[in-house]
Amino acid sequence: MGKGLKTLLVILGIFLLIVFAAYSFLKGTYNTLVTMDEGVKGAWAQVENQLQRRYDLIPNYVETVKGYAKHEKEVFVKVTEARSKVAGATTVSDKIQANNQLTSALGRLLVVVERYPELKANTNFIRLQDELAGTENRIAVERRRFNEMVKTYNIKVRSFPTNILAGMFGFEKATFFEVPKERQEAPKVKF
Amino acid sequence: MSEASCHNLVSRPWAVSLRVSAAIFLLSLIPIFSALAERPFPKPKGLVNDFANVISPAYKQKIAAVTGALLQKTGIPVVVVTMPDIGGAEYNDYANRLYRAWGIGKKGEDKGVLIFVTVKERKMRIETGYGVEGILPDGLVGEIRDRYMTPFLKQDKFGEGLLAGALAVAQVVAKASGIELSGQMPKKTVKKRAGFSFFPILIILIIIMLISKRRGGSWLFFLPLLFGLGAGGGYGSRYASGGLGGSFGGFGGGFGGFGGGMSGGGGAGGGF
Repeated sequence: MGKGLKTLLVILGIFLLIVFAAYSFLKGTYNTLVTMDEGVKGAWAQVENQLQRRYDLIPNYVETVKGYAKHEKEVFVKVTEARSKVAGATTVSDKIQANNQLTSALGRLLVVVERYPELKANTNFIRLQDELAGTENRIAVERRRFNEMVKTYNIKVRSFPTNILAGMFGFEKATFFEVPKERQEAPKVKF
Repeated sequence: MSEASCHNLVSRPWAVSLRVSAAIFLLSLIPIFSALAERPFPKPKGLVNDFANVISPAYKQKIAAVTGALLQKTGIPVVVVTMPDIGGAEYNDYANRLYRAWGIGKKGEDKGVLIFVTVKERKMRIETGYGVEGILPDGLVGEIRDRYMTPFLKQDKFGEGLLAGALAVAQVVAKASGIELSGQMPKKTVKKRAGFSFFPILIILIIIMLISKRRGGSWLFFLPLLFGLGAGGGYGSRYASGGLGGSFGGFGGGFGGFGGGMSGGGGAGGGF
């Protein structure tokens, strides 16, 4: 009888140990996924802050350029259109796409600006130009941090055995903020 | 920022919009994972890090005096860095990552400024931490760049340019913090005009040098003490060798120069 009880206790002990191990694995992995998911979201919020900053800066900038370059209607229209698309985008990938379009529209506007030396000498414009450059740099910085976050998160989500849990609880791969390929062939501006 | 300092710019038209277009085009080319960071960043040596060896000792002292006084009074570090080259990396990106790696300013407050020059690429950048973006907006930083730094840097007068830039930044920070810094706003002219405001400091330095020579120690050892950054023994040597994060912060209870601060890419940069 004593022997039987001993065996039972040992089995029970092993069973409890397995349950505990499984529990701590689940808990650990799940919580890590939650933390990383929040990290990605936080990084995206930073990106959006800077995109918003650019969005807010554009009207003022465009107005200033218009004062010197009235005939360049087409470029202004392109920028304004792209800007309103940004406002209309709701999902992350839509926002990325719309903002990439805005970036290229702005790129064309900057080429136009080059043709107006008087504009480039305007103090107000110079300041706006620096603000815009600073904002572009901020976007680049936050985009880099976001992509780094996404990368580590995606590696975690896709690697074994986390992937099983991630699938069970619906943690999906996050989208990178990628800059379209065509942009990489854009003419390099010497400076 | 006073209006007087914002206007009457003569030296700016060139290359300003080019800078923006360049920023937009080039920054978008930065690979997603920033694989550019192959080379490790150098370790910080203090507030003046002349890795390119382009600042004369006299100017190094002047810059250290200004930034040291500012750090002591406001707790905001203005760190000057020169690099011989950055291996063709994108300079805006490099400056931001260097800022992050060194953690300029206290963590969470993120108040700090990095004044960065790379000699071979002939690029410079004033990078502002998250916490000083309000008092140093990009437009103002751009003006400091164009007005006080680029004219000197173009002539390879790195010491002059960096001192003028550091002074201009320090003045803005000091004003925003409601404190007075001895010394005047630097002049745009390339003539040597600094120095007078450092006269008392120089006298003290000389006295200290004489004292410490007798003691057989390095007079540099006393430089931080001069600005009230006092710390225990061994400060000087560790100040010189520098360490990242924990070790640097360890003796820097009152230093606060490298405390894990971050920058979000604010500021202004450009070629010269």
